[in-house]
Amino acid sequence: MGPGIPWYLAISAILFSIGVAGVLLRRSPLIVLLSLEIMLNASNLAFVGFSRLFGEMDGQIFALAVMAVAAAEVCVGLGLIVAMARRNLPLDVDSLTELRG
Amino acid sequence: MVWGSWVCLLAPLVGFGAILLAGTRITRVQAGVLSTLSVFVGFAGAVVAFVDALGRDPDDRAVTTTAWTWLSAGDFKVSIELLVDPLSLTMMLVVTGVGGLIVLYSNGYMKGEDEERRYFAYMSFFVFSMLMLVMGGNLLLLLVGWGLVGLASYLLIGFYHDRTSAIDAAKKAFVVNTVGDAAMALALFLAIAKVGSLDYGTVFAAAQSGQLSDTVVTLLALGLLAGAVAKSAQIPLHTWLPDAMEGPTPVSALIHAATMVTAGVYLICRTHLIFEAAPDIQHLAAILGLITLLAAGAIALVQWDIKRVIAYSTMSQIGYMFVGAGIGAYPFAMFHLVAHAFFKALLFLTAGLVIHHLDGEQDIRKMGGLAKSMPYTRWTFLIGSLALAGIPFFAGFWSKDAIIGAALAYGGPLGWTLYIGGLLGALLTGLYTFRLYFRVFHGAPSALVTAHTHGEQHGEGARSMLIPVGVLALGSTFIGFLAIPGVWEPFETWLEPVVPALVQATAGEDWLTSLFAVTLGSIGIFLAWRAFRAGRELVADGAVHTALEHKLWFDELYDVVFARPAQLIAVRVRDRFEAPVVQGGLDEVADGTLRGASVTASAQTGLLRTYALAITVAVSVLTLVFLVVR
Repeated sequence: MGPGIPWYLAISAILFSIGVAGVLLRRSPLIVLLSLEIMLNASNLAFVGFSRLFGEMDGQIFALAVMAVAAAEVCVGLGLIVAMARRNLPLDVDSLTELRG
Repeated sequence: MVWGSWVCLLAPLVGFGAILLAGTRITRVQAGVLSTLSVFVGFAGAVVAFVDALGRDPDDRAVTTTAWTWLSAGDFKVSIELLVDPLSLTMMLVVTGVGGLIVLYSNGYMKGEDEERRYFAYMSFFVFSMLMLVMGGNLLLLLVGWGLVGLASYLLIGFYHDRTSAIDAAKKAFVVNTVGDAAMALALFLAIAKVGSLDYGTVFAAAQSGQLSDTVVTLLALGLLAGAVAKSAQIPLHTWLPDAMEGPTPVSALIHAATMVTAGVYLICRTHLIFEAAPDIQHLAAILGLITLLAAGAIALVQWDIKRVIAYSTMSQIGYMFVGAGIGAYPFAMFHLVAHAFFKALLFLTAGLVIHHLDGEQDIRKMGGLAKSMPYTRWTFLIGSLALAGIPFFAGFWSKDAIIGAALAYGGPLGWTLYIGGLLGALLTGLYTFRLYFRVFHGAPSALVTAHTHGEQHGEGARSMLIPVGVLALGSTFIGFLAIPGVWEPFETWLEPVVPALVQATAGEDWLTSLFAVTLGSIGIFLAWRAFRAGRELVADGAVHTALEHKLWFDELYDVVFARPAQLIAVRVRDRFEAPVVQGGLDEVADGTLRGASVTASAQTGLLRTYALAITVAVSVLTLVFLVVR
């Protein structure tokens, strides 16, 4: 027997908070994307943990789905970043404010 | 054979669709050939159905074929079905036969016009609509056909869409016809409400059995009569027909002489059981017919446009048919319809030859002496005129006299009025017909005619124009022999299972009527000849002439009674309601949206960070709320 389920959930919460902080505080889009991945994987951990807690497989299936979505999202995100780099746009989320109302 | 009637109905529709879809991929000539073929294939289908019906027992000739149920609401059902019986077969043969000849004629007449393909597409469409009208197996399909022929008529009157007068005439025809259509629709609604069905048989049975109150039957008949009066250009809804002459001449021949305008007569014959249950309305039909036949005949005496004279003559002849249908002499009304289709189409087509020859001139004051340069046209026009004036033994002689004779046999004050009016009409017919004939073909050639005779010789017209004219002239001469009173009456026997003659003149009455009618018609011709020789007009200048020249002021009356008040109300509504309320209200909504948008827009910073923070904070707050509430 390893550590109990609450430990996994705690780690999941910590990872999620780190991800949120990264998204909110960092300026490089690459790092923001990376932080997003951390948040997604934190939720995956929570899914799997709850799945074990209740003895049902739903959470694990969900985790697989989240991985697929995450992969797709990275494709789009990285594609956007490459496109920005190619057009010599600044790689800084704070300077991209064209959608200001 | 059932397929014959379906071929008849669908062939023109296929022709219409083909021309429409082919667009510019086919030449103008091909479009004309396609349209002509489609109508003649329809004719062949009608002949197949006709021969089939002839081979069966007279009481067994009505065939209803149902394609599918079209509408269904509770107990109320309407199917797409065709009713093929002697009455509709007669109309089918006339519509596709005479129609085919006229479309063939159009090939020559419209040559060189712009947009020939559109013309031929419309012609096929019209033939289809007219067949729909006569073959429809219930009142709703009849109304559908009724509306579609109105549309086709509108499109074809306005064919020369760069002429303001043509557009105005088209609109006028459409609006006046809509009055009739609306009345008919109301009658149909009434039938649905009170009978619960639109099948001919069910509605007729209900009207005859007395299960409907008198008021209902009267309203039903009145609505149908209003539709018939509008479509057939009878007073008081006649003002559109003379203006409809703005369309190409073959259109006038097909729609405004041979087929569509006679639909009203067909309607009365088809629904005669309803009209018989409401005798007052049926008499009203006869009286309106009488008024129209006299008024239109008189107006025709002073018109100068060759086509308008013939148009008024059409109104007048349809007046005869209404008289016949109004006193229950249905087979005679139908026979006059058939004979009229021949000789009036002939007159229009020969008038078309003249107009074509003179490069579009329609004023008979500028014509004259065409007999020498256009002998073929002259003789065929003469045949048409003789048939129209009821000279023995041309078509009009048999058909018109049968109606007048029936009026005599009907008796009573109404019968006598109709009889005397009908005879007077015969005199008018002789007068206006031969005023036109002498003016156009006799005397010394006018300057315009000389100019066109000595110029390039283009003959009297293309062969595709001359052949239909010849066939129609033969028809106008011999079709009358289908109904010789007391001797050989195949037409009447043929129609008897559907529309029996309720009144019929005895042989003596018939001969007496013919004697009077022919004498009066001949006097009319003689007077027209004398006036022409003396160079006088038939109606001297004065109050009468002015009244006739203004077409009895119907247009002016309607302008004052309907058009102007409607305009006045429309302008008021626009100024008082449309501008401040509708337009103003919309402006308010738009301005408010803009103001609200500028407020919300300031929340959009464009910074990713703000949005992410907003989401995080919102989710955190929501989570807290859920935890606390639990």
